[in-house]
Amino acid sequence: MLFPTVQYAVFFLVVLAIAWALVRNNLAHKMFLLVASYLFYGVWSWRYVPLLFLVSLFAGLVAQQIQRRGTSDKEARERKLWLVGGVTVCLLVLVYYKYTSFLLLTLLGLWGAVGHAPQWNVPAPFLPLGVSFFVFHAISLMGDIYKRKLRQPLHLLDALLYVAFFPQLIAGPILRASSFIPQLLQPRDPFGIRVNRGFGLILAGLFKKVILSNTLSTRLVEPVFSAPGTFHGGDVLLAIYGYAAQIYCDFSGYTDIAIGCALLLGYRFPRNFNRPYTATDPQDFWQRWHISLSSWLRDYLYIPLGGSRGGSGRTYANLMITMLLGGLWHGASWTFVMWGGLQGVYLIGHRLWAGLHSPGLDRMRATRWWTWVSRLLMFHAVCIGWVFFRSPTFELALSVFKQLGSRGAVTMASAPVVLTLLGGLFGQYLPRRWGVALQMEVARWPMAVRGAALALGVFAIEVLGPTGVAPFIYFQF
Amino acid sequence: MSHTRRSSTLTQLAAAMVAFAVCAALLESGGLFDWATRLDLGPLRTLALPVATGLHNAVARTGLEAVRAKSITALARAGWSDDPAAAEGETTTADSGATTVTIPVPSPTKPGVVPETKLATPVAPGPPPPTVPLAGDPPLLSVLPALQAKAQGKPLVVALAGDSMMAVGLAETLLRQSTKYPNIKFVKVFKSGTGLARPEVFSWAREYPAMLGAAKPDIVLVAIGANDGQGFVDNGVTYPFGSDGWKTVYQQRVAAYLGMISAGNTQVLWLSLPPMKSETYGSKIKLVNRIAYTVVGSNPEASWYSTAGLIGNADGSFRDFGAVGGKQTRLRAADGIHMSVDGASLITDKLLPWLSPPAPTPAGPAPAQGAHP
Repeated sequence: MLFPTVQYAVFFLVVLAIAWALVRNNLAHKMFLLVASYLFYGVWSWRYVPLLFLVSLFAGLVAQQIQRRGTSDKEARERKLWLVGGVTVCLLVLVYYKYTSFLLLTLLGLWGAVGHAPQWNVPAPFLPLGVSFFVFHAISLMGDIYKRKLRQPLHLLDALLYVAFFPQLIAGPILRASSFIPQLLQPRDPFGIRVNRGFGLILAGLFKKVILSNTLSTRLVEPVFSAPGTFHGGDVLLAIYGYAAQIYCDFSGYTDIAIGCALLLGYRFPRNFNRPYTATDPQDFWQRWHISLSSWLRDYLYIPLGGSRGGSGRTYANLMITMLLGGLWHGASWTFVMWGGLQGVYLIGHRLWAGLHSPGLDRMRATRWWTWVSRLLMFHAVCIGWVFFRSPTFELALSVFKQLGSRGAVTMASAPVVLTLLGGLFGQYLPRRWGVALQMEVARWPMAVRGAALALGVFAIEVLGPTGVAPFIYFQF
Repeated sequence: MSHTRRSSTLTQLAAAMVAFAVCAALLESGGLFDWATRLDLGPLRTLALPVATGLHNAVARTGLEAVRAKSITALARAGWSDDPAAAEGETTTADSGATTVTIPVPSPTKPGVVPETKLATPVAPGPPPPTVPLAGDPPLLSVLPALQAKAQGKPLVVALAGDSMMAVGLAETLLRQSTKYPNIKFVKVFKSGTGLARPEVFSWAREYPAMLGAAKPDIVLVAIGANDGQGFVDNGVTYPFGSDGWKTVYQQRVAAYLGMISAGNTQVLWLSLPPMKSETYGSKIKLVNRIAYTVVGSNPEASWYSTAGLIGNADGSFRDFGAVGGKQTRLRAADGIHMSVDGASLITDKLLPWLSPPAPTPAGPAPAQGAHP
């Protein structure tokens, strides 16, 4: 079920009403949300609801085993064994569904390089929607219990709902068990609902997805990236910028709607994007882009690998491993690995650069113009990565870069494309105080007027958006 | 528990949601009606269509629906619409039981308007073509037919038509390689998420001429039907997928589409849909293929080109992996429906040399064999 559809709107209105009607009985409230979440997932394919259920049940049972054990040496060893076993099983599920064909083809490629590789003719498994997200949630559940970040006894129902809760199920944001499960322990507060914020996020998300992302996708990015050789450099550059705007609007739009829906249900999700194209360096970028994933990778991969505790060389290696695996998490393809590798190179390069000091250099770094130069450089470095991210093959990515040098007329810069591109990129530079002023103004309106304003906003977005609903880019991950 | 001004109560939320639902229903009655008509046959459509129709007819009396229609029209005139065939003034009647109200045709896209000068002439609806008994299963392999002569010195204009089966994989590969074939000019006449089973959802009779514009293709390559494994309603009669009535009406719709794209003696090469990963879905596609194969056999301008033997196993079953250029690779997309670029190249490698044959030797080119069923 896609967010910007009538089906989802009806589903959400019904779920919202029933969930709040059950709020005094927290057990019934949570059971209802769990069933609604399975229904939400099952509309896409009932075949994988058992997988979702089993993965979350398994993680919950393992987490309970970890939680039951104390601090003695024996029990500490057992805790670790349960954690390693649980994480391994979850990762195997992810590897089986997502990486089987990638691993097989890589193996066959290597085999073919040294000898005669056999023909492989067994179909790869279907990729369950959102498998990367729900497996990461399952791992987070076991990890947070292991680190004793969750003091209260874990109930299986809470574990199941944490992994399957429908607003975040398909494409995040990736919640931490330590921040979400405590919210499940007490009934939602019927006097503390962030309605304005929820409405604002849902409208902003719909605007970004339906108008900005979809327009850029259908009118610019798809045509150019399908056959870059048939376009000149100006169009190709426009399409690269277009994809940068599209993927931001698409993914942040999804998480805005997810966070907004959760707020109306009384739950709080972490922020997932913070004006990423205003970043001045790679570290800054990763603190602004897909924050829930980057902090997950930091806490569950980079730090366990040793983080920055083992000297420069070890730190760089840890950074590179983290970003390479982060790239692979996005998709089973070497182009994603390349994208992750580029991010690792950027982070390492920035650390080296930041380590250089001289009075002149430090003065320059403190200037306003250098901030803007840094933003421009960072944005273009990110765009280079997006070309690999968007291209299914290296051949295509290289042909995109090659076509940048081709001179000729710009044919794709129609008014809708230019307007949505500017909106997608420069919207991030709008002063925050505008948003605050708008929220304060809306807060003075009667509730019925706010509801009518939301309807008017949805209507405007439906009229302005291109036809059809394209799936969210991050659904495939 | 402390509450700030930013928080609201459940009663306030309920008031806002009721206001939202009422206003959205009023403003979006046209959109909801369009949505309900496009749903697949099933319980949701059975439930939603009467409600949406009733709402739409009620709102139409107030004139509120005109706000949406006029907004879309104004945006289309300003060049915002992405629907090349949006037309104005087309109306039909929705039966709401006791009363009927004239409402806009549920457009598959948006009922906006673009300047008429940009539009080619839509195909006038005629009597449904006669149906013929279904042919047997299509062959696993077929030979490309002789390419019809074209004017010397001009590039061959090739229209790429169909749904996502053309858009994903095939068209991408053909367009990417087009730079190597300056004597071929490709025209994109495909749209994902469309088909021939539900003209009330997407009317190729309306969209094809508009998408073609002024282009006059010498040949049309078409791959379509992946979304047609569903039932439909025609003249108030429900036809479940695969029923005898469904086969008859669907055959008429395929024949009408083929008649349109082959008009003016335009050569058509109809590419079969490849074998599918899901057995249930694959069995539906086999029927779609069989009907298309039957229709192609009745049209002298059209030829059938089987892809199953190229991209599937030798017995025509689904194949996920295979060798391309000596390298093991994935032939199909992860959905088990579309072709990967590598998989599509197994087909385009046959098509491109056919579309752009080397200059004939003094002895003349070898005669090609037709591929009529």
